[in-house]
Amino acid sequence: MTPRPLTRRRYVFTILVWMAVWLIVSAAAVVVGGRLWAWPSAAQVWDVLWLRLEWVATASAVGAALALAGLAMQALLRNPLADPYILGVSGGAGLAFILASLFVGAAAAPALAFVGALATVGLVYGIARRRGRLEPYTLLLAGVILNAFYAAAIMLVTAVVRPQERGDIALWMMGNIGAFGPQWELIGVVAAAAVGAGILFAFLAKGFNLVAMGEDTAGALGVPVHRLRLAAFVAASLVTGASVALAGPIGFVGLICPHILRMVLGPDHRRLVPASFFFGATFLVLADLATCLSEGAAIPAMPVGVLTALAGGPFFIYLLRTRWRKRLEIR
Amino acid sequence: MCRTRSTLLLRAACAAALALAAGCDDSAAPGASSAGAAAPGPGSASAAPAAGEGAAAPPMRILSLAPNLTEILFAMGLGDHIVGRTTYCLHPPEAAALPAVGDTLHLDLEAIIRAEPTLAFTVTRLPETVRRLEGLGIRVVPVENDRLGELREAIATIGRETGRPEAAAALLKTIEADLAAVRGRVAGLARPRTLFAFPMTVGSPRIMIAGRGSFVDELLDVAGAENAYPDAADWPTVSPQQVVAMQPEVVVINAAVPGPAGRDEAIRRGWESLSSVPAVRDGRVYVLPEAYLTIPGPRVGQAARVLAETIHPDLAGEAAP
Repeated sequence: MTPRPLTRRRYVFTILVWMAVWLIVSAAAVVVGGRLWAWPSAAQVWDVLWLRLEWVATASAVGAALALAGLAMQALLRNPLADPYILGVSGGAGLAFILASLFVGAAAAPALAFVGALATVGLVYGIARRRGRLEPYTLLLAGVILNAFYAAAIMLVTAVVRPQERGDIALWMMGNIGAFGPQWELIGVVAAAAVGAGILFAFLAKGFNLVAMGEDTAGALGVPVHRLRLAAFVAASLVTGASVALAGPIGFVGLICPHILRMVLGPDHRRLVPASFFFGATFLVLADLATCLSEGAAIPAMPVGVLTALAGGPFFIYLLRTRWRKRLEIR
Repeated sequence: MCRTRSTLLLRAACAAALALAAGCDDSAAPGASSAGAAAPGPGSASAAPAAGEGAAAPPMRILSLAPNLTEILFAMGLGDHIVGRTTYCLHPPEAAALPAVGDTLHLDLEAIIRAEPTLAFTVTRLPETVRRLEGLGIRVVPVENDRLGELREAIATIGRETGRPEAAAALLKTIEADLAAVRGRVAGLARPRTLFAFPMTVGSPRIMIAGRGSFVDELLDVAGAENAYPDAADWPTVSPQQVVAMQPEVVVINAAVPGPAGRDEAIRRGWESLSSVPAVRDGRVYVLPEAYLTIPGPRVGQAARVLAETIHPDLAGEAAP
């Protein structure tokens, strides 16, 4: 396959195709996942319809946010192992969410989780900044170390609370779509953040492409590498923090979705950005649908974060072992 | 409550060594079948309170390893004999003054050794805990308490083990009378489908509810209600869809752990979107703070009464004067 130039028509076509896939899957997930035809009264259908809409909206917003953040982190760090959680943001948001739930109240938890994410972004930036620049390796190390610290702090909290709360925390840490009680405002915030990051990254996509080829090359071609890094780092961290506040740390989506798309679409970030947005949303909606269906089939419901890793892992290995592998490189 | 891992390991090692030593003592003095036999050594050395017993009987030092057992022991007049409790044993108020020896999962063996108990009551099904306590020369009596019938048996067992069968019989009689009184008051009333749920502390898409295998299910029956959850499981977790399918007419949410201000209102608000659920439509979602609703102890009659007066609001009015 020879790379074709990206015309405006092809760009719009890419966006429309991935958006159509997402819309179709979402509509199916509302109807099928809610088993809307099986309810005896119209009032019940209405309730379940709203529940399913809310959960599909949650899955879409979180999936899109995580896939975009993963794509940006991988490009920013030039590391295929990078995911949205690699810079410690999820740990900061998670610790703040758990502490807030226990001591301040469930209503305040998402907002405080976002504050935790912001504080972590500042901390990582402060640690990794050297002479006004963000060094990828220092950034990576700062994130990994902070993650380990937060994980220990969460374990400490888990160890000292009551058994019932211990169970709740463990479940939350697996990543879940939906809460007992409506969360539309929060879904709106995450969706807006994801759309904002998508638009920002769409403008930065050319820069991502050039940085992926090598920083020096990019610099020589006039790309403001450090500002690009800073923008990607801050935007990706913010959407990640917001999505953790909404659904907990759902693993694997941010790591795997960009890679799958690289294999399918090639390395051009101009197409990868919109595709990641919609594919991440689609991926998580499908995972949420699978948990709903398994529950309908009397299989104990799985937290969606467990399912994404269980199903995504083998699928990714399959891609890795077949002809798709060649297209994996971030370049 | 919990120390660092290294302290825990150290403590476990010490405990194991002590358990080993205690085991040796036992084998050296065979025939120590009764709890009292091992007591004179350490018991007399620590100048334990006489606790009103005759000089002949060795002092009975009881370790109570569950909140309901502590309540039962106090109700039987054995509070003076308790030398250790769990961190969750907070009722009656006198219990809170006793030394805590950890919770049901993590026992502080050092504190237990310091308390020098001779007899331990526990609800645990972990054979390891029982073995470890027995290794310390403590007579361990595990009891079941998942159903009301098991609670009755547990009280009888405690009476037998402590040599107070009359006190146990009296307590059983009181409980039966309490339950019968509630049953009498709801007799002939409609039995609404009721869901008994817990709030989730940390955000989650599911809630834990009382299934038909729990003693709360029996309390709902006594209180004149039908459990809205149809299956036999004891404490299942359910999704909002399942709640919509169950169509409960009353929802009781037991928010026993003290929470921040406005929590109960937030819990109720969480249900508002399920408008097809009769309990939501009729404004019959109640948040009850009483911790004893789920403690299978002497206050089950009281719990049944609170449930009955919540589920049948007319009853509360007639009881007030």
